[in-house]
Amino acid sequence: MNTRLFLMITLALCIGVVQGSEAQTKKLNVVTTLNYLKYVTEAVGGDHVSVIALANPRQDPHYVTPTPRMNEVTTNADLFIENGLSLDLWAKNVVDASGNPNIGPGSPGHLIATINVPVKELPTEVSRAWGDIHPQGNPHIWLDPFNIKIVAENIGARLKELDPANGDYYDKHLDAFKHRLDEKMFGSELLDLLGKKGGDILTRKAKDGDLVSWLASRHLDSKLGGWMKMALPLQGKKIISYHKTYVYFADRFGLSIAGELEEKPGIPPPPQHRDDVVALVKREGIKVILNDNFYATDAADYVASKTGAKVIVTYLDVWANEDVSTYENLITYLLEKVLQAQS
Amino acid sequence: MSRFYVSGMLTFLAVAAFAQAPDSTNGDVNELRSEIRKLKEEVQSLRADTLGVSSQEDELDAVEERLDKRLQELENKIDAVSRSTAPIALNPKMTAFINFAARHDDKTVYDATGNTVISNKPFLRTVEMELGSAVDPYAEAVTIISLEDEAGQGYSIDAEEAYALIKRLPIIESAPLGLKLKLGRYRAPLGVDNVTHLHDLPWTTRPLVVSKFFGTEHGEFFESGFNPVGLDAQIFLPSPVPGATFEANADVVRGGDIALSQGQLTHQPAYVGRLTLSEDWNNEHLLVLGASAYTETGSQNTHLFGGDLTYKWAPTERRESHSFVAGAEAYVADRFISDSLRAFVKENPVGWFGYLQYQCSYWTYLGVRYDWVEEPTNDAQVTKAISAYVSYYTTEFLRFRLGFEHKSSDALVASLNNTNSIIFEANVVFGSHPVEPYWVNR
Repeated sequence: MNTRLFLMITLALCIGVVQGSEAQTKKLNVVTTLNYLKYVTEAVGGDHVSVIALANPRQDPHYVTPTPRMNEVTTNADLFIENGLSLDLWAKNVVDASGNPNIGPGSPGHLIATINVPVKELPTEVSRAWGDIHPQGNPHIWLDPFNIKIVAENIGARLKELDPANGDYYDKHLDAFKHRLDEKMFGSELLDLLGKKGGDILTRKAKDGDLVSWLASRHLDSKLGGWMKMALPLQGKKIISYHKTYVYFADRFGLSIAGELEEKPGIPPPPQHRDDVVALVKREGIKVILNDNFYATDAADYVASKTGAKVIVTYLDVWANEDVSTYENLITYLLEKVLQAQS
Repeated sequence: MSRFYVSGMLTFLAVAAFAQAPDSTNGDVNELRSEIRKLKEEVQSLRADTLGVSSQEDELDAVEERLDKRLQELENKIDAVSRSTAPIALNPKMTAFINFAARHDDKTVYDATGNTVISNKPFLRTVEMELGSAVDPYAEAVTIISLEDEAGQGYSIDAEEAYALIKRLPIIESAPLGLKLKLGRYRAPLGVDNVTHLHDLPWTTRPLVVSKFFGTEHGEFFESGFNPVGLDAQIFLPSPVPGATFEANADVVRGGDIALSQGQLTHQPAYVGRLTLSEDWNNEHLLVLGASAYTETGSQNTHLFGGDLTYKWAPTERRESHSFVAGAEAYVADRFISDSLRAFVKENPVGWFGYLQYQCSYWTYLGVRYDWVEEPTNDAQVTKAISAYVSYYTTEFLRFRLGFEHKSSDALVASLNNTNSIIFEANVVFGSHPVEPYWVNR
């Protein structure tokens, strides 16, 4: 009897251990619209998430055609993450067509990654007469690394909500990712000098636009490294962009966007506007035109041919080519491209 | 500057920030943001006065940190819903479509009834209002009300589609295989063209086989197709081809509504089935193969079988704005019904169409289509048409199209046969951003 009882208890414990380890090892299935969201989710979720991005990273994120494959891979998702701000409008069609009731808007399985991100260019009035505008503000938030930290916090919080057993794991990965971004932003030497809250302090100073003067007042200016140091030669430099894609990037790294090739968002530049841009480039001595890889370059080439400015075709999402195989590489790549063109 | 003054200012700034933020609404968010930023600027000005006094600098840092937190909390207060693609309010998402068309013909053209002349006239073919919203945690609903031109004899209002889409129930929290149930009136999943609305077609007219086999009141120039009342279940199945997606639809609908049945068999249900095998490569190449069937069995029978193929190429980096779409649909019907003289008639009409479309520029599309169809009421009579068109978009909300069509039919008398038509179409979309049709490349 005692032997039988012992065996039953042992068996029950074994089953419990196996089930427990399955719970520990079961990965959350996450589907993201864009690839930078996949990158951040993997950075925060580590081994506990399996992530699929729907869009091709070379595609215009405004116009992705939902396909049956996208609908199918979303069917079993535990979490669906979209950029929001009316950028990936096609996400709703995928969510609807997936038949997955756990990822509907408003449910824990649906996350708008840009919640809490300070949005720029929030219109006070909205009309289609102004082009394909975004009623909730400029959606290209991910080209500012500070916004990516907020996105990572949002994703981390949602992963914890869906998988509380691994909450500490997500916290650790989130902190490590934010620290990695801080190192890339300011350089590890400066961060080490300022201690534990160094990243927060420097972030605040950079957001307020007085990082350089603050460092100088403390004789730390020679310690600045990372992207902020890379961007020092770009301060106040004017550029032209095709679309309003670089608003956050420019603000963060001190560039000034003098104008866009598009007269109105989402509408190819009309000839008259091209000539206006030519005049602007000549007047301001602008050297750089940023042209997203998925937009035609004829307008940019036209302006360049009349002014001598350089056209840079840029990738905007992680994994769009080998130079942007991580989010950190994406920011480095954009800065290097602009620096090269300015020199 | 005395220490007392600095401390007082710090207290005031902190209290001011804390006092104002909690009651903020979206309307005054920008105002509050700028107010907090002004407070931060005041902190900065105070900082100049405290340069070198490290204890006061630390206090300023602390206040600045608190202000930053308040600013972040303010951002948090902007409802997450307002940043999503979901509707901000509980009102349905609304989109309106207006489709205008005018035709010029070298012969007199009658509508499908044979009573109304439609040649050399303009028409407001459809005005559609689409409303869509979540109903409750378990269902969504879509209503598409259309105002349709009755071949120039006035307008009628029709529920083009009106259905509930159910993904789960309180007793089934998550259905297997991505099961979705559609209940109401909807465009039946027979091929690709039938589920596409008139304003979303890549052509100026419906393909003849869809118009003649599935449903029309006034012919292919006006809204046609099969949109029965019924129940549709859609699921994903394990794919027989690795990497491909395999979907199935099964429907029970009211019998007699399809054109092939001529409205005679409403006392018995009809069944619709569809299998779709599709694969896309990097969202650049898309291939869809489909097989559809309709069956209505009883004392009188109507069966329909069809196959369809769609291929689309659209480069991911769309700098050149070129794309290509090719497709074809073929149907064979088996009708065994009574005609108006109560005699039983058996017909086996066949019909098909194929098309090619090339996008020349961001704005412009060129295409051709060929139609071949046997008349459902007399499969010895064949109608053929070849058409070409050019579409021009200003934006995704406004499109113009000019088409040419040559049509010949054994069913027409010689004086009305071999018609050449030029059709101009304008399509307007406004309201909530709609999904673009499959053949558009942006």
